[in-house]
Amino acid sequence: MLLKKHFGYHTFKTGQKEVISSILSGNHTLAMLPTGTGKSLCYQLPGYVLEGHILIISPLLSLMQDQVEQLKKFGEKRVIALNSFLSVEEKRSVLTDLKNYKYIFISPEMLQLSYIIQRLQRLKISLFVVDEAHCISQWGYDFRPDYSKLGEIRKKLNDPVTLALTATATRKVRNDIIKSLELNEVAKIESSIDRPNIALHVEQISGYQEKENRVLNLIAKLKKPGIVYFSSKKAADHMALVLRKKTNLRVSAYHGGMDSNTRVLIQQQFIHGQLDVICATSAFGMGVNKENIRFIIHYHMPPQIESYLQEIGRAGRDGKPSVAILLYTPGDERLPLQLAEAELPTNLQIDWLFKIIFQEQIIGKKQLNPEWQELGGFSELQWRIVESFFSEPMQELDDLLSLKDTIQEFINERLEIKKQNIFLMKKFIESSKCRREFILQFFDETMVNKLHSCCDLCGDDIQAFYGNEVCGQSPSNEETWKDYLAKILINSELRE
Amino acid sequence: MQKLVSIILDCIKNINNERTIYSILHLLNGKKSSQTIQDAHLFSIKKYFGVYESLTRDSFERIIDEIANNQWIKPIEEQRYLLTPSGESYCKKNPVPPHLNGWKYYSMTKLFWERLSLFIQVTSNLVYKETKYIPIQKNKDIHTWVKACLVGTNISRQEIGNQIFHELLECLDQVDGIQPPVLVFRLTGYQQIGLTAEQTANKLKMDMIDYQLEFNNILHYMIKKISENEKNFPLLSFAVYDIKKANDLTNSTKKTWNLYRRGYSINRIAKERKLKVSTIEDHFVEIALNVKNFSIDEYVDKSQQEKILEVARQEQTRQLKQIKEMLGSVTYFQIRLVLAKYGERQWN
Ligand SMILES: Nc1ncnc2c1ncn2[C@@H]1O[C@H](COP(=O)(O)OP(=O)(O)OP(=O)(O)O)[C@@H](O)[C@H]1O
Ligand SMILES: [Mg+2]
Ligand SMILES: [Zn+2]
Repeated sequence: MLLKKHFGYHTFKTGQKEVISSILSGNHTLAMLPTGTGKSLCYQLPGYVLEGHILIISPLLSLMQDQVEQLKKFGEKRVIALNSFLSVEEKRSVLTDLKNYKYIFISPEMLQLSYIIQRLQRLKISLFVVDEAHCISQWGYDFRPDYSKLGEIRKKLNDPVTLALTATATRKVRNDIIKSLELNEVAKIESSIDRPNIALHVEQISGYQEKENRVLNLIAKLKKPGIVYFSSKKAADHMALVLRKKTNLRVSAYHGGMDSNTRVLIQQQFIHGQLDVICATSAFGMGVNKENIRFIIHYHMPPQIESYLQEIGRAGRDGKPSVAILLYTPGDERLPLQLAEAELPTNLQIDWLFKIIFQEQIIGKKQLNPEWQELGGFSELQWRIVESFFSEPMQELDDLLSLKDTIQEFINERLEIKKQNIFLMKKFIESSKCRREFILQFFDETMVNKLHSCCDLCGDDIQAFYGNEVCGQSPSNEETWKDYLAKILINSELRE
Repeated sequence: MQKLVSIILDCIKNINNERTIYSILHLLNGKKSSQTIQDAHLFSIKKYFGVYESLTRDSFERIIDEIANNQWIKPIEEQRYLLTPSGESYCKKNPVPPHLNGWKYYSMTKLFWERLSLFIQVTSNLVYKETKYIPIQKNKDIHTWVKACLVGTNISRQEIGNQIFHELLECLDQVDGIQPPVLVFRLTGYQQIGLTAEQTANKLKMDMIDYQLEFNNILHYMIKKISENEKNFPLLSFAVYDIKKANDLTNSTKKTWNLYRRGYSINRIAKERKLKVSTIEDHFVEIALNVKNFSIDEYVDKSQQEKILEVARQEQTRQLKQIKEMLGSVTYFQIRLVLAKYGERQWN
C-alpha cells in the first residue's frame, strides 16, 4: 500500500481518503479539513499515482520550506521550491531541469513571471494544488492579491485537475475560491472545523500588569508545553524575558524579527522538547507539527476568528485534552486596528506614487520602478499590494487615472472588511452563550452534541489542565562541553 | 561589554588622536572602504576588522560617552580622544580576546561556522543511524560541501564520530584565550538541538556583545590552528582548505585596478568611470596596501619616498597634515601612498 510504503502510516486520517480518491477520479476538489489533520498528504500521495507533475502554490516562504523538508524527510528527492530565496544562478539551473522535479512548490509572486509560466507550460501538470486557499478571497483573513489571479494561470496551464486546501473558510470564502479558480464542477469535502479536544476559554483582565501576572500564574500551573501568542514582537520578547527571570522554565521568543537560523533552532528545540514555552507572534505556527502542545494562550486578541482557530489549532494534535485561553483587556482591539491600517498603503502614499508615475509616463517610462518602494516608504506588504495592480508594461495614461481610484477603493474596502473581522472577534470575546457554538455558527455549522469539556461559558474548569509533569529532560548545568560533544558524536550503544 | 570596551580603548590608543572615533566604528563594522582598510593597516588594528559587524552608531556613541565619563579617555578635539593612564590600566585588567584576527579571517568566519555546524549535525545523525531530521543550515552550498566531504574521506562511517570528536578535543582542549563552551553548546546533533547565540550567552552569563566577540575569537583561533596543522585534523581541515581569503580589494577598486593594468592613467580612469580623481586616488592607496608588487615609484620618486618616511618616523606621526607641513612640496596623495606601501613594515 502506498500510504505505508512512502509515508509509513497505517491508516488514513479523516477526510484524506475521500480527497485523494476524488482527485484520482479526475475531479476538481475543494477540501476543508481542520488544522493539523494532514492536508499535505492529499497531494503528496497522488504524486505516486499520477504521471506528470504536482504544482503546489503556497503563500508563505517558510511554509513552503517546511513542506519541502517534510517530503525530503520521507525520502522524496524530486522536490523543489521556486521562490525568491533562490539565487539567480540556482534559479536558472533549476528551471532548465524542471522536468526532473515531481513536486514543484511555487510562490504566487513567481507565477506572475511570464518566463516561469512558459517553462511550466512545457510540463504536464497533473495536479494543481492551492494550499491555504482562503488567501484567494477578499473575505478570507489573509487575502493575497496575487492569489486572485490563479484562475487565469490555471487556464494557461491547460486546466489541470485542481485541489484547493484550507482549514478555515466560511461559506462565502469557499464560494469565492471556486469562482476565482474558475472551476465549474467541484467535489467538496468538508469536515467540521471543530476541534473537540480543545477547550475554549476567555478571561477578562483589568489591566496590563494584571495580564502579565495572569500569564505567569497560568504558565506556572498549566501542563506544558505551550505557546503564548502576541501581536507585537516587543511584547513577545519582553514576556519571554520575564518568564525566564521569574520561573525556572525553558522559554524562548520567536518572531519574524529574528534571523532565520535562530528561528530554525528555536522551532526545532520546541519540537524536540527542549523548550517548555514559546512566546511567539503569528509568524510561529504554520508548519509546526508538534503533537503534544497542551495550551495556547492569546495575550493579544487575534484580528479575526479564522486566525484564532488557526493558532489554537496547534494544540492537541495527539487528540488529548488541551486548552486555549484568550486574555482580553478592554481596549485591546485598538492594536489589531492599528496593525490593519499599517498593512495597507495610505492615501498619501498612493497620491505620491501616482504623481511620480504621471511624470515618468510623460518622459515615456512605463515600468513600475522598484526604488519607489523605499522612496515612498512602502512596507514589503504595502508594496506587494500596489504592485499587483499594475500590468507590464504599465497601463496607458487614460487607464491610470481610473486605476488610482480602483486602488483607493480597494484599500478602503479592505479596511472595512478588517474592521468587520475585528468586530466579530470582539463579539466572540463578549459572547454570553457557548463559544464553540458561536464559532460553528460562524462557519455555518451546527453543534451536534454537547461536549464534556467545552468552554468557560459552559462551565468548563481550567484546573483540569493544570499539572506538573515535566516535558523532556531539563538541561543539567553540570554538563561540560566535552560531555556534550561526546554525547552527540559518540554513540555509546554502538561501542558495547 | 568589557571586551568591546577594551577593543575600543586599544584602537584609541593605537590611532593616537590621528583619526576620529568613527574610524573605529567603521573598522569594527568591517566597512570595505579604502579609508577604513588603510587605517586598519596604518595603525596596526586590522585584527579588529569586521569583528563586530552589527554594532550600530548609536550603541557605539553610547559606549564612547560612557568610557569618556569614566575618564578612560580624554577628549582632544571634537570626536578625537586620547587614552588616559586609567584607561591603560583598564585594558591591562581586561585583555581583549587574544585570537581575534579580523582582517585575515573575517570573510570566512561565517562560512567556516556554517560548515562546521552542519558537518557535526550530519555526522552525529550518521553515528546514531538517523536519516530523518531537519538540517539547521538552509544554504544549499553548505549541503553540497558536506556531501562532498563525506564522499571524499576514507574514514569509515562508524569511526567518523570518534574521529571528529578527537579532532575537536585536540583543537579546543586546554588552550589559552578561548572558551570552548561558547561554541560547543551551539552545535546541533542527533535529537539534540544546539542553543542560539542568545541562549548560549545567557547560559554562560555573558552579555551578547562580549559573547559575539568571544565567538569570533574562538572561530578565528580554530581556522588558524586547523589551517596551520592540516595533517592533524583530517576531517576539520575540510572546512578550511578550500576557503581562500576573498580578494582583498573592494569592488570599485578592483575595477580601477583592471583599468590601471591596461595602462590607463589616474585621470583617464576617473573620466572613464565617471568618478572624481580623488576617489581613484583612494583606490590607488588601497592597491598600494594590498597588492604586494605594486610599485608607487611612478607617482612618488624614490627620494621623496625616503623623505616622507623619514619625517613620519622622526615625528612619530601618521598625520598627513603634519608631514605635509614639514615637507611642503609633496601632495597628500603621495604621502598616503608611501605610508600605505611602507607604513606598517617600518613601524612594527
Ligand atoms: N494518515 C496519517 N497518519 C498519521 N499521521 C499523519 C497522516 N497524515 C498526515 N499525518 C501527519 O499529520 C501532521 C500534520 O500534517 P499536515 O502538515 O499535512 O497538516 P495540515 O492539515 O496541512 O495542517 P495545517 O492546517 O497546519 O496546514 C504531519 O506530521 C503528518 O506527518
Ligand atoms: Mg497545511
Ligand atoms: Zn461551550
